[in-house]
Amino acid sequence: MKFYGILIFLFFSSVLMRSQNRQLLFDFDEIPQSLMVNPGADTYHKCHVGVPVISVFMVQGATSGVTVNDIFADDGVDINLKVRERMLDGMNSRDDFSITSQIEAFYVGFQGKNRPENYYSFGMYGETDIIVYWPEDLARLAFDGNGGPNIGRQFDLGDLNLRGEMTNVFHFGIRKKVKDNLTLGFRAKLYSNIFNFKSTNNQGTFLTTEGEDNILSNSITADMGLQTAGLNEIRDILRDDTDTTREDLTSLFTNRLLLGGNLGLGLDLGFTYELNEQTQISGSVLDLGFIYNSKDVLSYTLEGSAVNEGINVLLPEDINSIGEDRWQQLVDEIEAALPFEENEDNYIMLRPVKLYGSITHDWGEGASGTRRENCGCAINVRGGSSEQYYRNRVGGLLYMIKRPLGVQAALTGSYQRRFGRNFSVKTSYTIDKYSFSNVGLGLALNAGPVQFYILGDNLLSYQNIADSNYASLQFGFNILSWNDN
Amino acid sequence: MSFQACSDKQNFDQFDDLQITPLVASSLFSVEVTEPFINTIPAVNAFYSETFNFDAFTERFVAESLLEGTISYEIENTTSKPVTLVIEFLDAGGNALDAERFDIPAAPTALLTRDVAYGAGGKALDILINTTDLRVTGVNLGDNTSTSTETEPKISLKSAAEFLVQVK
Repeated sequence: MKFYGILIFLFFSSVLMRSQNRQLLFDFDEIPQSLMVNPGADTYHKCHVGVPVISVFMVQGATSGVTVNDIFADDGVDINLKVRERMLDGMNSRDDFSITSQIEAFYVGFQGKNRPENYYSFGMYGETDIIVYWPEDLARLAFDGNGGPNIGRQFDLGDLNLRGEMTNVFHFGIRKKVKDNLTLGFRAKLYSNIFNFKSTNNQGTFLTTEGEDNILSNSITADMGLQTAGLNEIRDILRDDTDTTREDLTSLFTNRLLLGGNLGLGLDLGFTYELNEQTQISGSVLDLGFIYNSKDVLSYTLEGSAVNEGINVLLPEDINSIGEDRWQQLVDEIEAALPFEENEDNYIMLRPVKLYGSITHDWGEGASGTRRENCGCAINVRGGSSEQYYRNRVGGLLYMIKRPLGVQAALTGSYQRRFGRNFSVKTSYTIDKYSFSNVGLGLALNAGPVQFYILGDNLLSYQNIADSNYASLQFGFNILSWNDN
Repeated sequence: MSFQACSDKQNFDQFDDLQITPLVASSLFSVEVTEPFINTIPAVNAFYSETFNFDAFTERFVAESLLEGTISYEIENTTSKPVTLVIEFLDAGGNALDAERFDIPAAPTALLTRDVAYGAGGKALDILINTTDLRVTGVNLGDNTSTSTETEPKISLKSAAEFLVQVK
């Protein structure tokens, strides 16, 4: 039971957290990682070094359907009733469970020595991203079957939609201040994929009706597929279960982390444009890229259509076939009409493209001691004062991500308060398909050259985290050198 | 296993109580014999007898998880003769575990239907689980010369099953 319990916890704990939106980090310019969500973001640093492995630890997950509490609350209600009411009857094929996690191995940035208007950054991080849509009709078929009241019901096999990957990313970016009021940036990415899988754009139906030659007719039409890369060797190692399983897995993962996996290329683009001294717009497009899968590929297809009315004998037409293996003939006919096949064909997997767009307005001048002179370098300077000069910032942010069933969007309003250069707090309110009550809080605290930051989403749900449709947590440490240090 | 911490009490042991028991429906077999064909066989002899492999019940999915079920039969006789149909359920050794017999009068006669339950309140599930072959026999109890006035006279046997299976 412990094993099942852990599986359930892992599955639904992913549900406690949300998808890839990092709305607190966007425009939070005190944190160098804001360049990772907008390579054209403002930065105030001469250089930064993310503390290896803990400069970013981020995990997010979401469910637009049930929560852990909905199913596993110790409330005395029969779990079968809860599953039926809250999942089978309460969810549809657009509801999803998703999880994203990111661990930064290292992240370094520095201002150009000969080109102070440039800020260069590079690093490596690992990212896991999995989304599974609720397979509404398939779940109904599994729980209720095709008999009884479901005779005549058409089950949509296209409800199967899932996608996942674990990828290591090497990146290098340049942020360049091209005009006093315009900053552009890009980040090139090299992906080394550990594993990925996807089953999307499936089509098909399964239907049981009154038959022609027999009482019932089962008909199925399918155009379905599941593509995987990197999973086969992992499965083999786990299945062999030898004394060296752990070492074998470590070796395999290490190799794939360091460019031994399926490789891909990607690009992030971003900008910041100052409409006036206190107002700016910014935007970015992330992960315009792909992974080309040619190693350890194993994919499955189910394509065709078949109708089954059992074994049918017509006399005198079938007089010569009496005695033949009619059962095997029936099985062979169905398999021929609806082949389930494997292949090792290479395939391309597009990365989930993300788009951010924001507008912010600053006000409330700080103490004169915090004013920085125009250094003519990478920091954003407005009329002789850096934007850090303003104590307050209010902003609006639109986020969109390409998902298997279309674009998901989120809208965020935020307020940031700066207490000098060493402490900054940001709060946000976000609405999306997962929640209308998402209040987030982030802070960045500098102690000398060391920065600690933490960003948490959907804080209201923490009073009963098991009942949360999503949560997100990111924290890390950086070593900073300020531009005027 | 329970889970607490900024959270209402959770009990993941409930997962053990979750039951997934779909009702699976499918046709089994059908036999259709025309009256002209029956008339080619000497009366009283079986106009049709065939034993065929039928692994549907012994498929692992069914055999290991079958809770109960119903097999439905529909028999229609539009020929001029009374007939008897017998369906025998045979195990791997060829032994008859059970049989269903249908005596159908000559046309005009109503559609004969029969639902046979297995499991709770019905016949033993072991009959189905151990059945590997079916033997279907049709015997003409009339003559082999008469002809029905019905359009395309024939004897038709249809069958389907609805099984409740325990997936979890």
